[in-house]
Amino acid sequence: MLKALARKSHTLERFLEGWSLFYENTVGRIGLFLLLFFALMAVCSYIPPLIDPMYHPMTGVDPEVFRSTPPSPTHWLGTDNIGRDLLSQLLTGARIAFLVGITAAFMSIVFGTLIGMIAGYAGKVLDSLLMRFADMIMVMPSLLVVLLLSSLFGQLNIWIIVLLISLFRWPGIARVIRAQTLSLKQRPFIDMARVAGASHLRIVFRHILPNVLPMALLYMTFRVTSAIIVEAALAFLGFGDPNTVSWGMMLQWVWKTGHMFQAPYWLLPPGICISLITLSFYMMGRAMEEVLDPRLRKEEQRI
Amino acid sequence: MNQPARLVQGFVFFVLLLPLFLSTGWAKENETTLKIGISEEPRTLNIWLASDANSRKALSLIYQPLYTRNPDTMRITPWLAESMPVYDPREISYTVRLRPAKWADGSEVTADDVVFTVNLIQEFEVPRYYSKWDFVRKVEAVDKRTVKFYLKEPKAIFTTRTLVNYIVSRKEWEPLAEKAKTKEKPLTALVNTKVESPLGCGPFALEDWKEGTSLHFTRNEHFFGQNQTLAQRKLGPHVDKILFKIYGTADVAILALKKGNIDFLWWGIQPGYIPDLKKDEDVRVFLSEKSALYFMGYNVRKKPFSDRYLRQATAIVTDKDFFVKRVLQGYASRMDSIVPAENTFWHADDLPHYGQGLSRDERIKKATALLAENGYSWKTPPVDEDGNVGSPSDIILPSGQPMQKFVILTPPADYDPNRATCGLMIQEWLNDLGIPAIARPMSFGALLQKVKGEHDFDAFILGYGRLSLDPDYLRSFFHSRNDKSRGWNMSGYHNPEFDRLATKSVSAMDPDKRQELIHRMQEIVMRDLPYIPLYKPQEIEAANMKFSGWEQMVGGIGNLWSICQVKPNE
Repeated sequence: MLKALARKSHTLERFLEGWSLFYENTVGRIGLFLLLFFALMAVCSYIPPLIDPMYHPMTGVDPEVFRSTPPSPTHWLGTDNIGRDLLSQLLTGARIAFLVGITAAFMSIVFGTLIGMIAGYAGKVLDSLLMRFADMIMVMPSLLVVLLLSSLFGQLNIWIIVLLISLFRWPGIARVIRAQTLSLKQRPFIDMARVAGASHLRIVFRHILPNVLPMALLYMTFRVTSAIIVEAALAFLGFGDPNTVSWGMMLQWVWKTGHMFQAPYWLLPPGICISLITLSFYMMGRAMEEVLDPRLRKEEQRI
Repeated sequence: MNQPARLVQGFVFFVLLLPLFLSTGWAKENETTLKIGISEEPRTLNIWLASDANSRKALSLIYQPLYTRNPDTMRITPWLAESMPVYDPREISYTVRLRPAKWADGSEVTADDVVFTVNLIQEFEVPRYYSKWDFVRKVEAVDKRTVKFYLKEPKAIFTTRTLVNYIVSRKEWEPLAEKAKTKEKPLTALVNTKVESPLGCGPFALEDWKEGTSLHFTRNEHFFGQNQTLAQRKLGPHVDKILFKIYGTADVAILALKKGNIDFLWWGIQPGYIPDLKKDEDVRVFLSEKSALYFMGYNVRKKPFSDRYLRQATAIVTDKDFFVKRVLQGYASRMDSIVPAENTFWHADDLPHYGQGLSRDERIKKATALLAENGYSWKTPPVDEDGNVGSPSDIILPSGQPMQKFVILTPPADYDPNRATCGLMIQEWLNDLGIPAIARPMSFGALLQKVKGEHDFDAFILGYGRLSLDPDYLRSFFHSRNDKSRGWNMSGYHNPEFDRLATKSVSAMDPDKRQELIHRMQEIVMRDLPYIPLYKPQEIEAANMKFSGWEQMVGGIGNLWSICQVKPNE
């Protein structure tokens, strides 16, 4: 009981230490605030359709508006070509970006961590096989493959897109986790666990996983950015989920309906949002990297 | 080398090159080139394979038909033929006299070329052409410039649908056809023959094709229409060269047009570009009527879409005016028949206008009542007992089974954003009735394969951008004989009464009698609704002010009449 409490307080202490380091980092702070802003947007996306059905991002149209109009008191960001509210679309886009980014990144982390740990711990043939497989996936042009699949099977559902992104994004993580596992495997505490009779499964999940998890989470922030960009690229090229209002989809609509150079109020917001949300995750990742890797810190911050 | 010697050498070199600079300079100054922007590379220059719009555009400058449409009346008018065909009801034959004409290589266009063309199509059963010639029993060259077509039975569509097809040169195609005949699959060999420099008798001949970039055409000095007056129009061409420049995206092409890099965009423009183009003083926007049909089709081979009441209910909730006003920004008109309303002679007026003028709630109420009358039910209906419209549960079929999810296939948004949007809106409107519809954009090729090839679909949205003015397509789309793999009857519609009328309409030589039959056919189709006609967009085109003489007709200014008449402004 006491042991558990001591461990808990130790974990809390480490977390608070890490948090203070993270918060001192300007890049990390900016990233965090940006991210909170987008999270707020995602939460607020449920509000406009409750005010009036015309604010439904996909099907709601202003009965008075028949073409793309600039910002007005009724439509703060203006409307698209069929009279739909752009602000509602932008808010819904934030929700989709989080959904795609975090889910795809989480899935790729799960795949990458599992495969990396198994390859590093098992070694020999299984290691070679898994790593060569990872190499094969890594060199595949993921966007092109998803485009091909999409043109073969028709427009893909957003969940299929998420799954495909995660299936193409795990090898990088697997390589890093494998390297860490190889190092951890040689440590005395693993030998002790083995001598104490712990099974391979227990060693991997009870002793190695907690040690590689911070690194995996760090990589997750980078994977979120790539997932968001891939989804936006797919949607912009016309291969996104047509039933989803994402920022990439908004860009596709503005482009294909011929408003690219005439409606900056329609073109710029989704473009800026994609840039900022990916930047925010990247900034968070950079800051987290510094927290986890003391070598990256400034002299006075090292503890 | 010392300085004076180098100077002398430089001077001699300059003098030697001077004539070259001057000659190219002169040539460029005197030559006029019409630069046309197209969306994609033509897929082929083999006339028997060409089905894509850009191949047809390129080939229309080269190969010529016997008759074409008069821009004023839209009736057929002699083109390569000298006069209108003479019909002999006793022999069931048409006699056509050719005007003196030459192929681009200087050899003469003869009746023998016409005979060869028809025989080749019939012998190889060339797709897209064979159905237009299969009722011709025999064709013979009476003399060098007179050809006689003998028909198996009287056919009203012979002049309007058959004689407007291209004629090819025996000299060009005979060796290729003979070679194809030696192969295991002669037709495949014929259509896959690579044609690099097609020989035609049109106003231009292909000079060069830089793949992925451009096609260069030069004026055919032997063009039969040169300085002739046809359909009250003095023909040129008045330009020496035509350049087709290939642009991947509309934005780039429009920018090129505004900057003067191209003179004409042979490409339907999205309405969103119009305000910007209208602001440019150097660009003129042309809005033209189009003989077109954009529609939603059902697979009536399958339950529950085989029930016409379900189709009628979906037609009621489909707000066509929404598409016209919003999706197409007013540059379109709603369609309530398969034959466009502008085709006044053939279009039937007294047809049901499903849901026109109703609000969204009124549509839902009307469609719900129709479905309920015909055995459909809901756990929670779209309209409650007090007449309020709400969110319904999934619809239950008259058989008692819940309706399965069904997919509306549409072309992808990058191919046609309007149809993709229409699919989504119809999905939402059908969901209002508890009909579990899902719109799924799909690549155009895969969509056609599913709909036309495999018949593996529930519903689809497609369009015909260039419907012929003769309404014979009604027969093609809905005659049960065409319900086959790759057949035109994509919906799988079978109606013996319609078949009888359709067969009769082809042979009806009296226009009034044929009109009556065509009207009746439209009534049947609009009652049974295998296709729900949605809208007919306008053709939006833009050209630079540097050229004038564009011929605006149904289908736009991108036509052979324009090509033969445009001239640079002084």
